[in-house]
Amino acid sequence: MSLDEAAIAANRFGLGARPGDLAAIAGDPRGWLKAQLTPETALPAPMMRLPSTAAASGEFTKWLVSLGIGAGGDPGKLAALYRNGGKPADMSGAGGGAMAGASSGGGNMAAGAAQPLSVEQSYVKYFSAGYADAVQARFQTAVASERPFFERLSRFWANHFTVSAAKPEIITLAPVFERDVVRPHVTGLFAEMLLASCRHPAMLEYLDNYLSIGPNSPLAHNPQYLPKYLRDRMTGLNENLGRELLELHTLGVRSGYTQTDVTNLAKIITGWSLYGPNQARGNDLFHFVDFAHEPGPQTLLFKTYPDTGEAQGVAALVDLANHPATAHHLAAKLARHFIADDPPPAAVDRIAAAYSGSGGDLAKTAAAVVDSPEAWAPQAAKLKTPDEYLVSSARALGGLPLTGEQIVALLDRMGQRPYWPPGPDGWPDIQDGWIAADAVWKRLEWATALSQRLAAANMDPTTLAEASLGPGLTPATRQAIHAAESPAQGLAIFLVSSDFQRR
Amino acid sequence: MTLDRRQWLAGAGAVAGLAMAPRIAFAAAETDRRLVVIMLRGAMDGLSAVPASGDPDYETARTGLAIPKPGAVGGGLALDTTFALNPALTHLAERYAAKEAIVFHAIASPYRDRSHFDGQNLLENGSTRPYGLADGWLNRALGDLPGPLKTGRSELGIALAPAMPLMLRGDAPVTSWSPSILPGPSADLVRRVSALYAATDPKLDSALEAAAQANAAADDMSGAGAGGDAFVTLMTAAAKFLSQPNGPCVAMVDSTGWDTHAGETGPYNVLTRNLIGLDAGIEALRTGLGPRWSQTAVLVMTEFGRTVAMNGTAGSDHGTASAAFLIGGAVAGGRVMADWPGLKPAYLYAGRDLTPTADLRQVAKAALRDHLGVEPAYIDRVVFPESASAKPFDGLFRTA
Repeated sequence: MSLDEAAIAANRFGLGARPGDLAAIAGDPRGWLKAQLTPETALPAPMMRLPSTAAASGEFTKWLVSLGIGAGGDPGKLAALYRNGGKPADMSGAGGGAMAGASSGGGNMAAGAAQPLSVEQSYVKYFSAGYADAVQARFQTAVASERPFFERLSRFWANHFTVSAAKPEIITLAPVFERDVVRPHVTGLFAEMLLASCRHPAMLEYLDNYLSIGPNSPLAHNPQYLPKYLRDRMTGLNENLGRELLELHTLGVRSGYTQTDVTNLAKIITGWSLYGPNQARGNDLFHFVDFAHEPGPQTLLFKTYPDTGEAQGVAALVDLANHPATAHHLAAKLARHFIADDPPPAAVDRIAAAYSGSGGDLAKTAAAVVDSPEAWAPQAAKLKTPDEYLVSSARALGGLPLTGEQIVALLDRMGQRPYWPPGPDGWPDIQDGWIAADAVWKRLEWATALSQRLAAANMDPTTLAEASLGPGLTPATRQAIHAAESPAQGLAIFLVSSDFQRR
Repeated sequence: MTLDRRQWLAGAGAVAGLAMAPRIAFAAAETDRRLVVIMLRGAMDGLSAVPASGDPDYETARTGLAIPKPGAVGGGLALDTTFALNPALTHLAERYAAKEAIVFHAIASPYRDRSHFDGQNLLENGSTRPYGLADGWLNRALGDLPGPLKTGRSELGIALAPAMPLMLRGDAPVTSWSPSILPGPSADLVRRVSALYAATDPKLDSALEAAAQANAAADDMSGAGAGGDAFVTLMTAAAKFLSQPNGPCVAMVDSTGWDTHAGETGPYNVLTRNLIGLDAGIEALRTGLGPRWSQTAVLVMTEFGRTVAMNGTAGSDHGTASAAFLIGGAVAGGRVMADWPGLKPAYLYAGRDLTPTADLRQVAKAALRDHLGVEPAYIDRVVFPESASAKPFDGLFRTA
């Protein structure tokens, strides 16, 4: 029996203890964690509420149709429509109209200013309910989870493969990306998660690859095969996904690759594109467009890949997944997430060895994190992210009936609007990313509002704190809760204490 | 920190305390200087923000993305015979005409790779390497503000952001603020939590203390977060913070969404909307500062530029040199400063980007030296180490 280790397992590796959790897992805290490193037998019920990937992808089309500015199913056409401020005239494509539009730049601003605002308002109106529901489903899944370590790993890998609603067409896709790309592979092979990511509309649209075409591909030489509205939008290579694959998803920045490697990887994955929602068979929208693929062999990291079409990209991505730099990059991120902002090098090396030794098996890699003695240091080194903070508060209190809109507003104010990280590098994973004065104040405001709402519930804050933190409840915090002027104030002090905000 | 100070912070008399704090009368020139740094994250397309309309190669090099010449439909706003402003930047053009704005072009940080995150990190940490220093150059500069500018201020800088950007992280006292939607905790609860943090967690302690002060100063900002463009809201708030008698004298404001890999063409495109917001935000700052504008400088910069040629998706990819702006009543403006490298293929950096011929640190160092009065030796040793090659520009500011 180890209550100390139970508290670390539940709070550092999980999403916070619920009343009764610590006693239940104290018999074998490490075994409790490792038992969660198995595939899901069924999706958590709230996840079933989310639309399918195909349906989620189609929502953007439906919205445009609802505006009366486009009935096509092609995502390129849709993106073009949106980015032109939704003006049907831009879609005529007659006589190089798009180019003329380009060179008029901001000149039509006055004329265009009113209409895009209405497009944006319409966007908010159309998508907010589904967005809030997806946010609530994710929250409910986490709060009720019996496999909170699995949930933490799902969040970790979703952040590793960031897709963000900061790009408008991603708003319905980010939640299903996490469900359909990340969750099935959390305890599987990294290479398979990487391939699934590169084939999902969320990633292909977020980092633009679906529009990228090989400069020497048949399509580049025969643009008449493209619908008119795409001819000015798809004229060549876009290296966005190629770059982030190397910098963020696999090797890591400054690991020795060159601009030529970036360009060549971008060429290797030309043609990795999408069916429109109306063309797709089933839920898989991935479409390898042979005639957009750059012909010929490509060299990446001193190895030459013959042109085998789609298989060229698969071979390159599998090699990247198995690269030692990738093992080290992923191990350092895992150690930073679960152990400390500056992860101990010995732990990183062991986790990287587990990754490489298992051929990139993420269950064995996560088990190596659990087996790191550094992860069991009594002092909590990490500050919870706003999402972890909100979920663990709800778990400590035995659940909270928050609406999706409330969750969005709370996390937004704490600096972490759900599914909305600012860039492809995702949310920060060090305390300096979250501990700014304003963010700390917002947590205090939340704890205050919550404890006032719960004042009538007659909860004993000391009992709740003991059940949540176990031996992690320090004498100073216990004393401050005890000395509070009311149970509500004591509850607020518990929720904002360093003991609870760190893990 | 004394118990008195803690009580003063949390107590209801915080605002009254501010008003009663002793003020020492210095010359306005020394105490009223204000600096605002705006970071455009994502890499602004300098060749569309500031088109080189008079360069005979401009329209060819930028086929598909070129802003038409001044006078043409949708054309730029002429600055001189070579350069124009994007037509979205109407307020900035007024500042330029009033000789309150300098436009820099072909300018970049020392970073020469193409990662946003490394590029921003380097530009913010002030060294010549990503992660070369753990704190920010603007914070380090605050460590050497001249006494008259520093005296009486508990916080020297403020970030208008929910999280502290690297550029302002460090030992000098700084705070942050963003609009709030929840009712505030009672003064008694703040006092108790503050005491608990002081005993258990220095990082949370200092964050809470700073937040309490910022909130006291922001009491008159109710409604600042309601509606309107988010960047304009932040710039309006920045003006209020910088107008507080003992408030911060330096502000940093983030603007995101400049990574225009696609959709950079057509009326009211992503870049145009960003530029409209930037322009309106700076105007809101000017209006909000009132007479203090005459002592203010606003430095606008981005981590790197974008490719000269349009990419395959009607946008541009990560590049090298871009444009920057220095705006304000304290600025000796009305000119473009650029050692123009040209846009012929042979002149491009790595065959694809605008070649940098000036260093952003030359502008930042001049602002610290000539506007805020930071010692040149301290700037070279502490604020921007390894910057000997980047000599501060002379004459960017009006002399009193």
